[in-house]
Amino acid sequence: MRHHPFWQSVALLLIAYVLIVFGIPMLPGSALVPKSVVLQYMLTVLVGILIWVSDDEARWTRFKEPLHAVLVESRLKTIRNGLLGALTLMVGCFTYSQVRASVAAPPNLRSIHPAPPSQLTFRGKTISLTGLENPLRAQGDMATHLATGRRVYYQNCMACHGDYLDGQGHYATGFNPIPLNFQDNGTIAQLTESFVFWRIAKGGPGLPREGTPWNSAMPAWESFLTEDEIWAVVLYLYDATRWHPRTWGETEGGGHD
Amino acid sequence: MTSVFLLAVALLAQDTTQGKAVYQKWCAGCHGDTGAGDGEAAHYMLPRPRDFTGAIYQIRSTASGELPTDADLMRAIDDGLPGTAMPGWKDRLSAGDRRNLVAYLKTFSTFFADTSFRPQPIAFGSAPGGGGGDEALRTGRLFYDSIGCRKCHGDRGRGDGPSSPTLKDDAGLPVFAADLSEGWRFNGGASAEDIYHRLRTGLDGTPMPSFSDLLDQQFLTDEQLWRVAQYVRSLSPDAPEVRDVIRAPRIAGALPRAPDDSAWNDVDRYWFPLVGQIIVKNRWFNPAVSGVWVQVAHNGDSLALRVVWNDRSQSPDTAWLAHGGRVLSSLALDEGSAPAPQPWPDQLAVQFPLTIPSGMERPYFLMGDRTAPVYQWRWSSASPAAAVAGQARGLDRFDPAAAGGAGAQSVYDAGQWRVVFTRALATPDSASQLQFQTGRAIPVAFFAWDGSNAETGTRMAVSTWYFLALDEPVPARVFISPVLAMTLVLVVGLLMVRRAQRASGRQP
Repeated sequence: MRHHPFWQSVALLLIAYVLIVFGIPMLPGSALVPKSVVLQYMLTVLVGILIWVSDDEARWTRFKEPLHAVLVESRLKTIRNGLLGALTLMVGCFTYSQVRASVAAPPNLRSIHPAPPSQLTFRGKTISLTGLENPLRAQGDMATHLATGRRVYYQNCMACHGDYLDGQGHYATGFNPIPLNFQDNGTIAQLTESFVFWRIAKGGPGLPREGTPWNSAMPAWESFLTEDEIWAVVLYLYDATRWHPRTWGETEGGGHD
Repeated sequence: MTSVFLLAVALLAQDTTQGKAVYQKWCAGCHGDTGAGDGEAAHYMLPRPRDFTGAIYQIRSTASGELPTDADLMRAIDDGLPGTAMPGWKDRLSAGDRRNLVAYLKTFSTFFADTSFRPQPIAFGSAPGGGGGDEALRTGRLFYDSIGCRKCHGDRGRGDGPSSPTLKDDAGLPVFAADLSEGWRFNGGASAEDIYHRLRTGLDGTPMPSFSDLLDQQFLTDEQLWRVAQYVRSLSPDAPEVRDVIRAPRIAGALPRAPDDSAWNDVDRYWFPLVGQIIVKNRWFNPAVSGVWVQVAHNGDSLALRVVWNDRSQSPDTAWLAHGGRVLSSLALDEGSAPAPQPWPDQLAVQFPLTIPSGMERPYFLMGDRTAPVYQWRWSSASPAAAVAGQARGLDRFDPAAAGGAGAQSVYDAGQWRVVFTRALATPDSASQLQFQTGRAIPVAFFAWDGSNAETGTRMAVSTWYFLALDEPVPARVFISPVLAMTLVLVVGLLMVRRAQRASGRQP
């Protein structure tokens, strides 16, 4: 019985299952394998085993013996009925779990970088965003601007966006969507400074509908900060993360999506 | 050979120059350019950033009054200090950067200058067995009382002991006694070992003393002190997972309207973290309520929603007025100058949209706005047996509903509020009140105020939108598909058996 191909196959399947479910998470740097991936792995293993047993005619015949025996032999009647009953019950439970009503949170289809307006009104002053560069880059002392930007950042932004600017401040877990990670190459690295200015000045409430303004905890900073303070904190964001803003030359015709 | 050795020494050496560069880039914003804990963000948080010039550290492995070891400093940098603004830097800075940083931090204080003295960790034993058993916990509780833990941490460990309103650190800043039922917020870690270490070392600079001297005086044994640590550990669950959707079971008969009705023991509870309202003026950087536990049940006609949260004071309580004043005067406030503390009540608000949204659009999570109001139930400790239903249109406008509000019952017990809101699913006044429906994802959010912590108006703790789903009665169609599938499997199975048996019967 030890070398019977059927029981060898069963043993192989069991070993594979234990390795995937309990072995892989123990490797350094790995995590629990998701159920859908476990299923894929196990199907692959099963196909491999079937190829192996059917590769040799004699082995294939021997492999089928226990299956056949369960189907026909009268001494195995109890096992036969038991297996049939168990399979029926399993299918029933699975189907029930699939059709049972369960309410999930509606999908949050959010555009992370929605298209900006061509102009905005900042405390009553109209600012055209198209082609707009950070005015502080051309005036005054950069070190002073960066010092202002750092002060503004630490006093206003850090609680959510974090002191590493990675969106993991000590308030971050309280909000959904979570605060933007500026270290990520998909955020400010892809944006012009005028876009960032718009997002800071108008915050969550100033988002267009596709940006789900009702969920965003980003304040509209125009009620807290001056225009120059916002431009200074934009400078600080790029300086601290070592990203470069997109320039208008790069984005011509491409928009901000 | 020598050069390899020198290179190794150079690599391992702690470089204060490079440490300074790392410090100025990532640490100075909070801890200040001179390490005095007075960076630009310092007044936007409580507890304050560590002042390195005094070399007084809370989380150490050394005896009270002694300097921390390098490993102690490294641990705080690596793992951060839970419950504070200090994050862990292990995944953010290289090991070399972090080592250099430790070397640089020590240059802020002359106490570290004498390198002939090396701080030695206390030789902690290991935990005695049986830590989770009833007998051990009874012993732990006995000494929790007799060594004075409950004076600050309270009878149930919720940080509400009689001394708690008076607590200040060495700099005169207000501190809360830790809420021992929220171990995931312990700045020194939540394991029984961590707690035992804090009991031995104390949290220098705060009112939390070291209990090592009680061991020397043989007031209690080392094993008994371990039991205290194990008892404290038993007061907190593991860090709760935040789930998006509250499932409200449908129960037969009467709803549990009393906060301590035993029926609540059978209803799943959900944890929602709250953070300071730092979105509109006037912002609040020191929220006292860290989160709420929520349970909901309905019976097809009405629903009952139970909110449980820890609050160190049954406000209004004049014993806490001075604390409120200390909090207000130690924080940066949009108000400009600190307002005078008043005996404000504790409050809680549960928020829904006015109608269940069909798409994903819903009102602004922070109490709606002028054009899209939200529907809220508001409860205040000033009238603890009632709730007011109404519509909010922004933080500054709340219009109570004319009739048919929500009911409420509440209990304050040992540092915890338990409030049950009840309402009929449908109300006659459908224009100004939400009509609840089963089987729908209903947005819900929570807001909390601790009056004794100077919280009123916009100074509060907030959540974003989560969802509430009231269970539907199970329709018959749910059972049809499984029965069909089972019949099919059974028939196919029986046919297979019959075919196989016929085939083998034909063969001799």
